[in-house]
Amino acid sequence: MSAWCSAALLCVLAGTAHAQSDALGWLRKIQDATRNLSYSGTFVYQHGGRSETSRITRLASADTERLEVLDGMPRELVRTRDTVRCYLPESRVVKVERRTPDRNFPALLPGELNTLLTNYDISLGGRRRIGGFECQGVVLAPKDNLRYGYRLYADTASGMLVRATTVDAAGNPIEQFTFTQLAIGRVTPEMVKPRHAATGWRVEDAATAPARLAGWSVNAELPGFHKVVELTRRMGESKPVGQLVFSDGLAAVSVFIEPLAPHREPPRTGLASLGAIHIYTREVANHMVTVVGEAPAASVQRIANAVQYRRP
Amino acid sequence: MDGELEGRAADEAFELLRREGEAADSWRLYHLMSDAMQGQRQLVSPRFVEHVAARLATEPAVLAAGALPGRTPFQRLALAAAASLAAVALVGWLAFAPQPQPQPPVARAQPPALTVSLPDAANDYLLAHQGFSPRVSLQGMAPYVRTVAEHPDESAK
Repeated sequence: MSAWCSAALLCVLAGTAHAQSDALGWLRKIQDATRNLSYSGTFVYQHGGRSETSRITRLASADTERLEVLDGMPRELVRTRDTVRCYLPESRVVKVERRTPDRNFPALLPGELNTLLTNYDISLGGRRRIGGFECQGVVLAPKDNLRYGYRLYADTASGMLVRATTVDAAGNPIEQFTFTQLAIGRVTPEMVKPRHAATGWRVEDAATAPARLAGWSVNAELPGFHKVVELTRRMGESKPVGQLVFSDGLAAVSVFIEPLAPHREPPRTGLASLGAIHIYTREVANHMVTVVGEAPAASVQRIANAVQYRRP
Repeated sequence: MDGELEGRAADEAFELLRREGEAADSWRLYHLMSDAMQGQRQLVSPRFVEHVAARLATEPAVLAAGALPGRTPFQRLALAAAASLAAVALVGWLAFAPQPQPQPPVARAQPPALTVSLPDAANDYLLAHQGFSPRVSLQGMAPYVRTVAEHPDESAK
């Protein structure tokens, strides 16, 4: 009898492990497709009853990607191997973020997919047809309420992520990205060039530099979130701003610290949200602390409340 | 806590409290904790004491009443009430006595956050943050669309 039970349990465990490695295999496939394929497509971003259409084009051989928001205020972003440029034609401003050789953007590396299993249960979802694509579902269910869950659908042929839905603890969608049209290949260098020459526009360079933010710390990290970056940067035309980034491998939370000008009104303490992003602002030691993250409000607030300053 | 909020923020906080929801409950709970920790005033509500006294009055067994000759029923009741108040106070003191912190301060229940509008520089923060989101490796630049239209009214033109 007990032998039967053990055998049955083993089968169940083996089955679970098998399903999990299948799901991880699909995540790897999505990652590879995102990096290695050239593609051009239109996608809809939905959150809180609103939806916004954008066009995305990637030329893999040049490692260049262009994103153009088609609804509302015109915005265009072009990412190359070492810079991200954001063009705002209405205000004639171009914002520049640079990658420096000593500081890689903390992208999720293929070998690190396994580390997601610490905080998420990853399993295969159903198959479904979306926008004309036959898709395989992958479900990332958080192991606690400090992070959101994700339902991903990848094109079975190319591995491209056709739909990504962020869900809260109750399983309700909070935001969703869906390709309504997607073509693999046939991308020319012309297609990823910025539409704007930006001649005479104001350039706002973030001038990021790795740094130790003396005196500042987050006295209790959120379980599963680890500090991945600590730097100083410029934002808009402000004074240097400190930025700390915490990540659990999939979600990231940034802490921005900036000195308050003496004549300025103190910031309003509180929470604002945009899709799956929450922004919590508070004042600490005459500085404005702004925490931005794609995590539940309570998680963002917890990190914000743990920010402290001790005279070094 | 005093003077932390001003103007509109304070008004919103008062409004939340007035609605007698979670905010009001948190408010009362925090004050009770604060009182307990600072050893101020009574630890339980006056009504709680009344309830206990009232309940005692209806108790048939005024405990070893026969063994306390010479006391009027009122005196007996008062004594019993005093005893139970002492017990309540003791329980209260035990419950609220400073205890080792079970978790770091940040892990305590948080009062609900006030909802505010997005900061003026929201797009700068979002752009600065997005570059560090590992999600980019699963869906390219798509998450960068999470920005705010600077002129929501005009954007429809």
